[in-house]
Amino acid sequence: MNEPIVLTIDGREIAVPAGSGLLEACAAAGARVPTLCHLEGISSNASCGICVVEVEGARALVRACVTAAQAGMRVQTASERVMRARRAIVELLLANHPADCLLCVRNGSCELQAIAETLGPRKRRFSPTRPQGYADATSPGIVRDPAKCILCGRCVAVCRETQTVAAIHFAGRGARTRVASFMDRGLAESPCVQCGQCSVVCPTGAITERDDTQAVSAALADPSLFVVVQTAPAIRASLGEALGLEPGALVTGRMIAALRRLGFDRVFDTQFAADLTIMEEGSELLERLEHGGALPMITSCSPGWINFIETFYPALLPHLSSCKSPQQMFGAIAKTYYADKAGIAPESMRVVSIMPCTAKKGEAARLGMNSACTWWRDKGHTSPGYPDVDWALTTRELARMIRAAGIDMAALPEEDFDDPLGLSTGAATIFGTTGGVMEAALRTVCERLNGAPLPTLEFTPLRGVTGIKEALVAAGGRELQVAVAHTLGNARILLESIARGDSPYAFIEVMSCPGGCVGGGGQPFRQRETHRGDPGLEARKRALYREDERLGIRKSHENKAVAALYDEFLGTPLGTLSHKLLHTNYAPREGGSGS
Amino acid sequence: MPSTAKVQGEIPSLEDLIERHRDKPGGLLAILEAAQEAERLRYLSEDSLRHIARRMGIPLAELYSVATFYSFFNLKPQGLHTIVVCRGTACHTRGSRELLDAALSLLGIAEFREDEETSATTADGFASIRTVACFGQCALAPVVMIDGAIKSRMTVGKLASAIERLRKGGVA
Ligand code: SF4
Ligand code: SF4
Ligand code: SF4
Ligand code: FES
Repeated sequence: MNEPIVLTIDGREIAVPAGSGLLEACAAAGARVPTLCHLEGISSNASCGICVVEVEGARALVRACVTAAQAGMRVQTASERVMRARRAIVELLLANHPADCLLCVRNGSCELQAIAETLGPRKRRFSPTRPQGYADATSPGIVRDPAKCILCGRCVAVCRETQTVAAIHFAGRGARTRVASFMDRGLAESPCVQCGQCSVVCPTGAITERDDTQAVSAALADPSLFVVVQTAPAIRASLGEALGLEPGALVTGRMIAALRRLGFDRVFDTQFAADLTIMEEGSELLERLEHGGALPMITSCSPGWINFIETFYPALLPHLSSCKSPQQMFGAIAKTYYADKAGIAPESMRVVSIMPCTAKKGEAARLGMNSACTWWRDKGHTSPGYPDVDWALTTRELARMIRAAGIDMAALPEEDFDDPLGLSTGAATIFGTTGGVMEAALRTVCERLNGAPLPTLEFTPLRGVTGIKEALVAAGGRELQVAVAHTLGNARILLESIARGDSPYAFIEVMSCPGGCVGGGGQPFRQRETHRGDPGLEARKRALYREDERLGIRKSHENKAVAALYDEFLGTPLGTLSHKLLHTNYAPREGGSGS
Repeated sequence: MPSTAKVQGEIPSLEDLIERHRDKPGGLLAILEAAQEAERLRYLSEDSLRHIARRMGIPLAELYSVATFYSFFNLKPQGLHTIVVCRGTACHTRGSRELLDAALSLLGIAEFREDEETSATTADGFASIRTVACFGQCALAPVVMIDGAIKSRMTVGKLASAIERLRKGGVA
């Protein structure tokens, strides 16, 4: 089986493992075959035809993305015939494509643009054959512009297969074929959970995040506002990549410096709030274990996941931790505790978060995510309402702001987060990768239950890339069975088992995106001209584990600033004030397949 | 949320059909067809689609994909009468655009974007206008089909009197 096979590609003999696809074989031979519809591990519908190659003995050109490499094959990847076919495909795509590159957010990262540039039609030969459709900006997180859609089907596949949401599908036929939600209504009326995976896989500017950079720039330019920023754990491991550094470049210090150059008054860390989340969520788990409550308890920090369970499994909502996500905990604390301490009027404070995630935009706008305002009103403040978090920008949006401001990351010094909401531990860092929240929680919960520090802090079974991971941990004389799932498809499997009543777990971590936040819907696009689905996930993940080891303090309950927050302000985890500021209600959401 | 009871009331056989066809290949198409026939205005209402999706366990977007793929299915209420204008090349060169415009204005349909819609219906539900790519009757161009009957070598005048006859309750 594992005997390599030998084939000839562009006159060069090459040996590849048996079972390889022709695309791999071509890549191994140094031949770049362009792809559009095909994305490894995500979509393979062989619809675009851009990957055609000439195989000796075959009458028609062959689509490399769905062809197996065979021993003795003789392949030409760039013959005149191949190039003519590819150019014709690009020309037809361009016929229906606006010449908007100069104004397009994907200018420079667009796969269609790259293919057009390399294959080089320099003139429009065909006129449009299909209607342009209307842009859909109904969702708080995602904007769809069908005019830029090339019908590659990647978004449909990722939404349906990876996420099992199926908010969008092809509709119509012939020239009217389009990607649409039910009844061609906006995403806001569909079961879309705003995970943004469609925007990561889209090769063009047809699906993007809602752009909030202008609003943030305006706030930064307003001297009457005090603008603080919080950065999610995964950003430090992906911002560099979005700015052209190698995948996995860890840029914590330079990211902080860049945010100061952009004009933020304080640069804080969502990781502070991640440690806070562990204090609350860990206590909630202990509470449920000791005094009863729905088990397994499931984490609640991934807003796409929250939307998912609210839409598709409302009956299982009692299993969710009532904790807000770290982003929201941060906003509530910044505008109460910190504003008070620093003497800043909360209504003139703006909280901006940098998130790997498109669903964070909708989360910030959720009903009830204005606890700081309520808290101040209880104290007699009267001011128009304001949210705890004003804007959530994706990694990609921040990268655009940094580029626009002409900031050269390479030339920046390493700087440190501001106190006190900038202090965090290694446990908070690994929130950014699948298994990390679980591992961080176990570091604290096990120590609490065992009454002694853990011999080792690494929970290796939780660190892999398998869709569902499980572990058995000894804590306080009992065995805790825990599970970790990433992608909503995998989450669904665990939910089905809870619904059947045969779930063996006490605690489950769910992240909406492949790999966790490192693979979030707001993260950098994959390098152009590759058919690989994995946009540097592994490298980003390793960077976070490196950072965890680098940080001296690696357990959330040892975060001194969090301890001070409890001493000076909150009281105890799960106390009255915690409930007001750090917890929330999750409720059934319309839009599911049945409603 | 649409009430199941209402849909079942309108389409008495739909439940049976779903039971009988749900696991057969092509079963979904049969169910959709029955649902359309059961509606007075011959279309798949949003309520019916939601009902079928829930009963069959199919995501709405996926069901919509199927319903919009086949031109046989109408997603909008159809008029009592149907006028189909051929927009093939032969008919086009012999003035089918003028016929379409005339039909639209005679029926009082303000806007119909040919490139975006397959059909348009008068507000009172009297008639629907649709276009087809070609009837395959090019020798008789321009061709119009009224309530299932092919009318060849159509003119704006002939079309006007046909519509007039329909209005009076007669046959075109
Ligand atoms: S989607 Fe790509 S090709 Fe289209 S306008 Fe944007 S950058 Fe240009
Ligand atoms: S954001 Fe997620 S759920 Fe919404 S359409 Fe895209 S992939 Fe589907
Ligand atoms: S929206 Fe993007 S990913 Fe989806 S089919 Fe169109 S081009 Fe492909
Ligand atoms: S057909 Fe192979 S990449 Fe689209």
